[in-house]
Amino acid sequence: MIRPEQMGYLTRESLAGFHRRKLTTGVTILIMSSALLVLALFVLVALNLGMMLERARANVDVRVFLVEGLDAGRTAALQHPFVAIPGIREARFISKDQALVELRRELGDDADVLEVLEENPLPASYHLELAAGHRSPEAVDAIADELRRWPEVEDVVFSRSWVAALGTWARLFRWGSLFVSVVVLVAAVFVISNTVRLTMASSRRVIEVQMLVGATDTFIRTPYLIEGMIHGFLAGALAMGVLMVGHRLLEVRLEGLAFFTPLQMGGFVVFCVTLGLLGSLAAIGQYLRLRRGA
Amino acid sequence: MAAEAIQKGPLDPRTIISFYHVELRYRDQAALSDVTFSITNGEFVCITGPSGAGKSSVLRLITMDLFPTKGQVVVRGMVSTKMKRSRIPHLRREIGFVFQDFRLLEDRSVYDNVAFAQLVVGVPKAARIKNVMRVLTQVGLWNKRDRLPQQLSGGEQQRVAIARAMVNSPKILLADEPTGNLDPVTAQEIIDLLFRINDGGTCVLFSTHDHEIVKTFGRRVMVVKDGGLVSDEQRRVLDRDQAPRLTDRMYQPEVQRD
Ligand SMILES: Nc1ncnc2c1ncn2[C@@H]1O[C@H](COP(=O)(O)OP(=O)(O)OP(=O)(O)O)[C@@H](O)[C@H]1O
Ligand SMILES: [Mg+2]
Repeated sequence: MIRPEQMGYLTRESLAGFHRRKLTTGVTILIMSSALLVLALFVLVALNLGMMLERARANVDVRVFLVEGLDAGRTAALQHPFVAIPGIREARFISKDQALVELRRELGDDADVLEVLEENPLPASYHLELAAGHRSPEAVDAIADELRRWPEVEDVVFSRSWVAALGTWARLFRWGSLFVSVVVLVAAVFVISNTVRLTMASSRRVIEVQMLVGATDTFIRTPYLIEGMIHGFLAGALAMGVLMVGHRLLEVRLEGLAFFTPLQMGGFVVFCVTLGLLGSLAAIGQYLRLRRGA
Repeated sequence: MAAEAIQKGPLDPRTIISFYHVELRYRDQAALSDVTFSITNGEFVCITGPSGAGKSSVLRLITMDLFPTKGQVVVRGMVSTKMKRSRIPHLRREIGFVFQDFRLLEDRSVYDNVAFAQLVVGVPKAARIKNVMRVLTQVGLWNKRDRLPQQLSGGEQQRVAIARAMVNSPKILLADEPTGNLDPVTAQEIIDLLFRINDGGTCVLFSTHDHEIVKTFGRRVMVVKDGGLVSDEQRRVLDRDQAPRLTDRMYQPEVQRD
């Protein structure tokens, strides 16, 4: 399609827009990188929120209280069926006596109140640890519901309220950022396509002559596609750079703040290049259609 | 060029352009209706007629910049009704096109303007230099190759445009009022250049509404009026040295028909 002897020409033409209209190009890249910065910021916050949530959920304390009067053999035998349930990673048995010891320790100085008891009122229980990916409120509910149906199980208790609330917030944020992202993406593509259209308009005569002497569409398009992709690349790299500096500054105060992995950063830039490509494709399509429709 | 071969009709294997009952409408208005003719390889044709008659439309139909709303245009075996859009660039490479307003790239030298047509097609550098040198020498502008278009006279600019049109060695050269912006002396130079190009075997088709040019033109003249072909005559092929000149205003040619 494109021959090696045309490469030099195409490269020069691709950079011509930058050269001819430095200000417009600069403004385009700034606007686009601001849009992309917002986008990346939302993704980053969502990422951090997700990690917080996952960490919080790791601490979800699920206790399965057993009915009174089970013999030791039967209680111990529950270990296996518990762990066999998908989503349960570990099941730790806590006997009546252990429960009392724990309670005493928790009460501390007030442990005297326990002296009035004639027998241990605390039930034996299992402490369950959930596997990653089964810690969402829905998953915990499902496991609890299933266990409640077992004859050996008196009740299942877990600290769900704030985990659930966090989950709700995270979900809301995800939807919100998805919405913002779509708006930002459309804006970014629009800005790029507008700039590429400007370049094409200023090269109107060149395109006209190209069509006249038999340039293929691929040949006519390539410089503008490359221009759009360079816009996307520069804007994406700039946004990522600003975000990186911001993260460095914040990290001092907020420890454990997650940042993108190098792979994710690379992915983001590739994504920005794709946006640039889309923007210029839109501009070129519209421009060439307009020219032909005349 | 073999003038007697023209009227043999569309089946002549040497036919290079043919129109079959072509109608062209721009929205509601008809620009051409029922136009039928054919042109043989190597012919030299002048299309004339009043402004708005449809001359430019005929030329644009040949490059398939426009498509007939009825009928068919066939150029070098490529049929308008079956033409794929992706094939159009290949057709354009076999057709040189020159306009009244030259359409040069103002920010590039004469050399670059001509080389541009070769670059677009992907001709390797060595061949490119050779070809550009050949056509610029032919139009007499090799020594001005480093100038910008605005540093040239109108006639010179048109010669650059012709060189650009010819650099890919097209089989057909179309010129839409190539002398429209030029004085009679310069216009004659351009017509002479077109004759030389035609002598080299290229089929040349140009439009004009300059009566002087039409009167002195000793080849095939097609007259378009209100979108219809009203006359298509083959004049006697004069010896070029005896041919009347545009500058020779006293000359009153007698038009001869076959
Ligand atoms: N793009 C267009 N849209 C609508 N009508 C058009 C368009 N181009 C040409 N026409 C009409 O088609 C008719 C033929 O136009 P064309 O340009 O072929 O004439 P012409 O013989 O080349 O005229 P001129 O000598 O002035 O260049 C005219 O009536 C013109 O108004
Ligand atoms: Mg015209």
